[in-house]
Amino acid sequence: MSGIVALKAAYTVTIVVQLGYIWYLVGRYRRVRSELKDLERSK
Amino acid sequence: MKPLYLAFIVLTLALLGFSTYQALVVAPTEQTMGDVQRIFYYHVPSAWVAGVCFFVNFLASAYYLWKKSLDADALAAASAEVGVVFCTIVLITGPIWARPVWGIWWTWDARLTTTLVLWLIYVSYLVLRRFAAGSQTQTLAAALAIFGFVDVPIVYMSIRWFRTQHPSPVMGGGENSGLDPVMLHAFLWNLLAFTCIGICLIVARYRLQRMENRVEAAHANLALEGGAR
Repeated sequence: MSGIVALKAAYTVTIVVQLGYIWYLVGRYRRVRSELKDLERSK
Repeated sequence: MKPLYLAFIVLTLALLGFSTYQALVVAPTEQTMGDVQRIFYYHVPSAWVAGVCFFVNFLASAYYLWKKSLDADALAAASAEVGVVFCTIVLITGPIWARPVWGIWWTWDARLTTTLVLWLIYVSYLVLRRFAAGSQTQTLAAALAIFGFVDVPIVYMSIRWFRTQHPSPVMGGGENSGLDPVMLHAFLWNLLAFTCIGICLIVARYRLQRMENRVEAAHANLALEGGAR
């Protein structure tokens, strides 16, 4: 693996892991928010 | 989303753009390793953020055991999860850097092994929180976090205590250590940007945890009301 390929690969991994985690948080946030709304409606 | 938090996210994104420019364009190419050395500008800040997250997790867990504060528990959960994310980045970018420089992806030296153990400890912590049932889960998780944190100083000191494949400390490692001033400048910008990303993620995850606690409490109340009728 050449240096520049390794640099690009490492950079891509860093971005993908961070964006993946943000995506996961947004999905979880939406689920919890809709659950909260359902609970408020059922009161 | 609160305006202050939104402003902080915008500031973080601007910082991230600037620090990436510093790392990839402004910082000079290292003579021995070449361009691959630029991985340093996000490998080391990721390790720093992971360490800070685990320290916050340690403090929040200790506070939870002392006061049984649910907010402290939420902060502990948030910081552990964000710490694992950054530790994962460290464990992936490290071998990608090692392959062209050392000729191997991985070796069982002190720094690499203790970092892998650290990652496994906090993944176990998250698995415990996710799958253990019962009222003692938070207490058990807090106890695990306090014992698990012992590995953080071991990871930090491993390259000072042992002769390892991993390089000695670049900064604060004795007479022959140190960075070129332009490299140091780029590194500090990246350190700041990654710290801000860590703060943004912890705040978001902390809020989410508190919302989940509210949902759980509301479900418990509904179940109690149902049982009382």
